[in-house]
Amino acid sequence: MKRFIERRPVWSLVILIAAAFFLWLVFAIWPDSFEDFLKEDVGGWIGGDFGKQFGRALSRKKVFLSALLDGVTLAALYFLIAAGFTLIFGLMRNVNLAHGSLYLFGGYVGYEFAEWTGYWLLAFPAAFVVSAALGVLLQVLVFRRMEGEDLRQTLVTIGISIVLADVMLWIWGGDFYQILAPSWLSAPVETFLASAQKSSGEIVYLKYSSIRLVILVAAIVLGVAMWLALNRTRVGMLIRAGVDDRDMLSATGIPIQVVFVCVFAFGAGLAGIGGVVGGTFQSLAPGEDTEYLLSSLIVVIVGGMGSIPGAALGALLIGLADTLGAAYFATYAVVFKFLIMVAVLAFRPRGLLGRS
Amino acid sequence: MAVTEHPGGETARQGSGFWPSVWNAPASRWGFAAILLLIPAAAGDFWLLQVYGWTFALGIVALSLQFLGGYGGMVSLAQMTIAGFAGYMVAIFGTSSVEHISLGWPWWLNIPAAIFLAVIFGTITGALAVRTEGIYTIMITLAIAAAFFFFVNQDYVLFNGFSGFNSVLPPTLFGVDWREPTAYYYMTLFFAVLAYGVVLYVSRSPFGLALQGVRDNPRRMAALGFNVTAHRIAAYAFASVIAAVGGLLLVWSNAQVSPGTQSIDWVINILIIAVVGGMSRPIGPFIGAFIFVLLENWSETALAWVGLSPERFKLVIGLGFLAIVLWSRDGVLGIWESWRARSRRDPLTGRAPGDDA
Amino acid sequence: MTDTGVTIAERMSANATQSALELRGLGRMFGALAALADINLTVRPGERRAVLGSNGAGKTTLFNCITGDFLPTTGSIRFFGEDITAFPPQERIRRGLRRTYQISLLFTHLSVIDNVYLACRGVSRGRFSLIRPRRDEALMQSAVELVDLVHLAEVRDTIVAELSYGQQRQLEIAMALAGAPRFILFDEPAAGLSPTERRDLIEILTNLPGHMGYIIIEHDMDVALRVSESVTMMHNGRIFKEGRPEEIEDDEEVQALYLGGGHGHG
Repeated sequence: MKRFIERRPVWSLVILIAAAFFLWLVFAIWPDSFEDFLKEDVGGWIGGDFGKQFGRALSRKKVFLSALLDGVTLAALYFLIAAGFTLIFGLMRNVNLAHGSLYLFGGYVGYEFAEWTGYWLLAFPAAFVVSAALGVLLQVLVFRRMEGEDLRQTLVTIGISIVLADVMLWIWGGDFYQILAPSWLSAPVETFLASAQKSSGEIVYLKYSSIRLVILVAAIVLGVAMWLALNRTRVGMLIRAGVDDRDMLSATGIPIQVVFVCVFAFGAGLAGIGGVVGGTFQSLAPGEDTEYLLSSLIVVIVGGMGSIPGAALGALLIGLADTLGAAYFATYAVVFKFLIMVAVLAFRPRGLLGRS
Repeated sequence: MAVTEHPGGETARQGSGFWPSVWNAPASRWGFAAILLLIPAAAGDFWLLQVYGWTFALGIVALSLQFLGGYGGMVSLAQMTIAGFAGYMVAIFGTSSVEHISLGWPWWLNIPAAIFLAVIFGTITGALAVRTEGIYTIMITLAIAAAFFFFVNQDYVLFNGFSGFNSVLPPTLFGVDWREPTAYYYMTLFFAVLAYGVVLYVSRSPFGLALQGVRDNPRRMAALGFNVTAHRIAAYAFASVIAAVGGLLLVWSNAQVSPGTQSIDWVINILIIAVVGGMSRPIGPFIGAFIFVLLENWSETALAWVGLSPERFKLVIGLGFLAIVLWSRDGVLGIWESWRARSRRDPLTGRAPGDDA
Repeated sequence: MTDTGVTIAERMSANATQSALELRGLGRMFGALAALADINLTVRPGERRAVLGSNGAGKTTLFNCITGDFLPTTGSIRFFGEDITAFPPQERIRRGLRRTYQISLLFTHLSVIDNVYLACRGVSRGRFSLIRPRRDEALMQSAVELVDLVHLAEVRDTIVAELSYGQQRQLEIAMALAGAPRFILFDEPAAGLSPTERRDLIEILTNLPGHMGYIIIEHDMDVALRVSESVTMMHNGRIFKEGRPEEIEDDEEVQALYLGGGHGHG
């Protein structure tokens, strides 16, 4: 960091100012003049109906804060799914295009289990175990038999995802399912972020969904735990060494196939947990397997294949692109994440944190 | 990432030009050609349009994937997207029911412009995809395909959003209505044979040979003086021409183009067609397309027959695809090759003729 | 002004003392391991030189740096006076540099003639041509001649995967001779060859046109010393001796380190 400042003083200053401005945007109460500037001037520059709408949306701090929090919490969901995908790819070079199916399947299983037991929290272990078991099957029956045959592995997982999608449609139909969080979690909480100031001088604090915040915290804890496990424990370091040099891993006498199965099961289980989270945030429906597969592909391409911090960074960027895009440019919101991907590919083909 | 076994040996050197190999073709080939030409005399409109015409048009799009995947080792999922892009362009430059967008250019300007822009689009896609190697290609092209699908779904300025364009008709050349079943059949047959012949011819040209060299060993190709990246991008450009032609035929068959034309499902379907048919030779995609179209049209009947809901069509496709990928390295072509090798083998010695001891 | 002055002066001096290959302070690190360190080597046009050394001495790494398979960490490479240090491989090849590989890197699904034809095409125009080659095309003619030169005429249309090991090695050489090479790097061309094939190889190498220089890495001293007029000894990524073949053969230090069999194989 110090070296970066010394080498690129101008850029460091720009980044510092941008960060300070961002913090101000988040924590300060936006002065009226600033709101007017956004509404009238920025809206006016763009012009037309779109400019008017855009300016209006831009001038409301509540829109900005909600989009920001939505983005960060959506990033938590993306991270859960993409971390499993990238972990599996990083260690085994397996591209599992059935990862989205594991997500949706885990979600459905979690839904059924929560309905049956009446406990939302139990949906998580259930989804984890079932998706992990499916992952183990995939690893043993598909990937192990086709080691080194990238393309065939990919084709087989595409086939499996088509079959699973139809089986799930068969069982659960085309309806939307929502996994209901317990009442103590579903009420919104007041955050410490000011969204506006009333004319009486009273400060209005933003209310935000507590369940999304809890999941965000859980995802951060999980991410940090994964990072620590990979960087600070013996097994983790061995796995990381195995990423660089497969032969070395087998030379240490570690039962490499057992490690592979465990990592695969863990990654698949994370996707299952992602399904429960997605089912609680939003809903579960056919087609979301492909949608979340695509999102996690983009996350790992942007962040760098095989890197856990990369998955976190990619998830944050893509999550924010999705929600900020939806808040300000509703029409083309879906395209932003692809633009980010294209830009990253053009300048850093291996992803932001990927190694060349 | 070699896609398949590449049996190029047998067909490799039947004369160095294209025509000699055509004239020397065995009688079975001539018979097959005669059947293709005579089909409209026997087949009904449904078969001509929905089965054969659709097979040729889908086969052409899948052929562009076969060229990239089989000869170039690059499995691109963006081929249907390029085809759909060409369809959109022809609707925008030409005539359609959406009069406030369509420009109404004459066909001789409209069609070349559509193909040209589709090639530009495909080349940019390729330039992005070849920055990384191997399995990344599938993921990146899938993401590009999804991006285009979502974009046209949302954009009403140029692509008319969810509803797309209707009444996109082929030009009435030589006084023929090319959407009439027999005419459509011959038009798609003509372009299918043309595309097939061109791919076969180019596969033995310096460009095609070098592409196969790049597939097998990019490092060595650079050490022979070839610019590997440029070659790969050029392959995308070439494949885009084929995909664009297939896209126009597809759009004309329905007279409409919409986001659904290149939905994720269809993007995957093209992969299924190419893989099921076999990627080692350009005939593979057409075999795959024929099987796909037959399944698409008759799986409902077959499913009802075994007591399943007709909705399980995708299950049939998925399981069939899985079976082919698991049991054959080169789709139907691979099964055919191994069956032929087995039947040629002497039952007593277990040796194929020509095998040295 | 000074810039152009320097360039011209450089070119003048390069022309005056023009060497085929000139390496200055070449080094290559793999992580913390120095595979090559401070290599200074000058080879005249038409000179035939052997590079000897035990496994891991950095010989193949040296070739990889010269052909651009990977870039050197330090130092510069000049090829007939031109600085090619940062050129991509294909640009070096198009300037007349060629190499063969220790482990054959051939296109195993293509026929012999197609392999050689690709090599000829790579250093000529029309790399992107969509027109099939005709039998009487000049490039195809020269490919046929090269195939004949390395005694592979009988298997000209055979798929490379079906060739014997020795035939594949000979094909490697034919591909290195494609176009108009000015300088060739041979990486252990005799490895795995039968005695007859070795004789053929020596004959091919000694009969190369006089202006065609080469560097040969070879473990078979018999072959190496017969086809070279100068020898460079490498050890642990460094050059430690240069001389004529006889000198090297008689050198005690060399014998102790390399010929005496103390290091690996002989």
